[in-house]
Amino acid sequence: MAVFGTLYGAAARGALGVPLTLASSVLVYSGALQFALVALLGAGTATLPLLLIALVLNLRHLVLGAALRSRFESGPIRRALLAFFLVDETFGFAIAAGNAAEPAAVGRSTERTLLVAGLTLYAAWLLGTLVGVLGGGLTAVESVAGAIFPVLFIGLAALAATRRSHVVRALAAAGLTAAVAIWLPGLRMLAPVIAGVLVALPGRER
Amino acid sequence: MSALVVVVIALITYASRAAAVVLLPRPSARFEAVLSRIPAAIFASLATATLLGEGGALPAAPVLGAAAGALLATPARSLLLCLIGGAIGYAAGLFL
Repeated sequence: MAVFGTLYGAAARGALGVPLTLASSVLVYSGALQFALVALLGAGTATLPLLLIALVLNLRHLVLGAALRSRFESGPIRRALLAFFLVDETFGFAIAAGNAAEPAAVGRSTERTLLVAGLTLYAAWLLGTLVGVLGGGLTAVESVAGAIFPVLFIGLAALAATRRSHVVRALAAAGLTAAVAIWLPGLRMLAPVIAGVLVALPGRER
Repeated sequence: MSALVVVVIALITYASRAAAVVLLPRPSARFEAVLSRIPAAIFASLATATLLGEGGALPAAPVLGAAAGALLATPARSLLLCLIGGAIGYAAGLFL
């Protein structure tokens, strides 16, 4: 997480400036979304598509949160605090901890793991961002800047594709985005949202 | 991007996290299935959008090599391996 934070800090510094780069990591704490925003900003995307990307990319939190809620035992205030630490990685840790716990301790174990993992990864993300904006990763980032985002997004797509149908839909979305980039270049940076939602809607899971 | 946009994005992100944990009932199976399909598709689209330039122009060989290297590593479903594959592909592209 600290390594990715460093890459983010170095990559975002030019697009956002140091204060906003740090503020984005403190307030948003979502690596995938933050990388996406920097990539879109670099392509000159306007504010509305940025907000749409934020909305659509965050939809997965509804699923993750719903899966965790049934395991939580604490009240709404504590759940609201824990929710800040709900990211893909902490979700995985929390679910795994709950699965390994005795039935009577599932809730406590899930919540404690979400909190501990969340705080640890949050601290690593902030530290990495700080190192990145201070120039710690700048030399490495500058030389491969054009390759970082495609590689990162390919890796995130691979992580998110848990079924064969997800892979097929991801390939379809990539093809649709390429077609838009070629024939409707004005919509190029809005295409990911449109393509992502369009390919997700039809059909049943396989 | 202004500070206000960062704050709005932070609020959207937190609201999406808290909504299900604190407020919403569990989504229907159908809606849950649709939601679960979106991230991979969006990330694949973002990869494409960041690869292609104006009019679908292809990037330089090292960037294409990095993308190819990362793609080859995707069956492992590991972000770290994709990054390593991308680095190897980037290095290979430099020699082409």
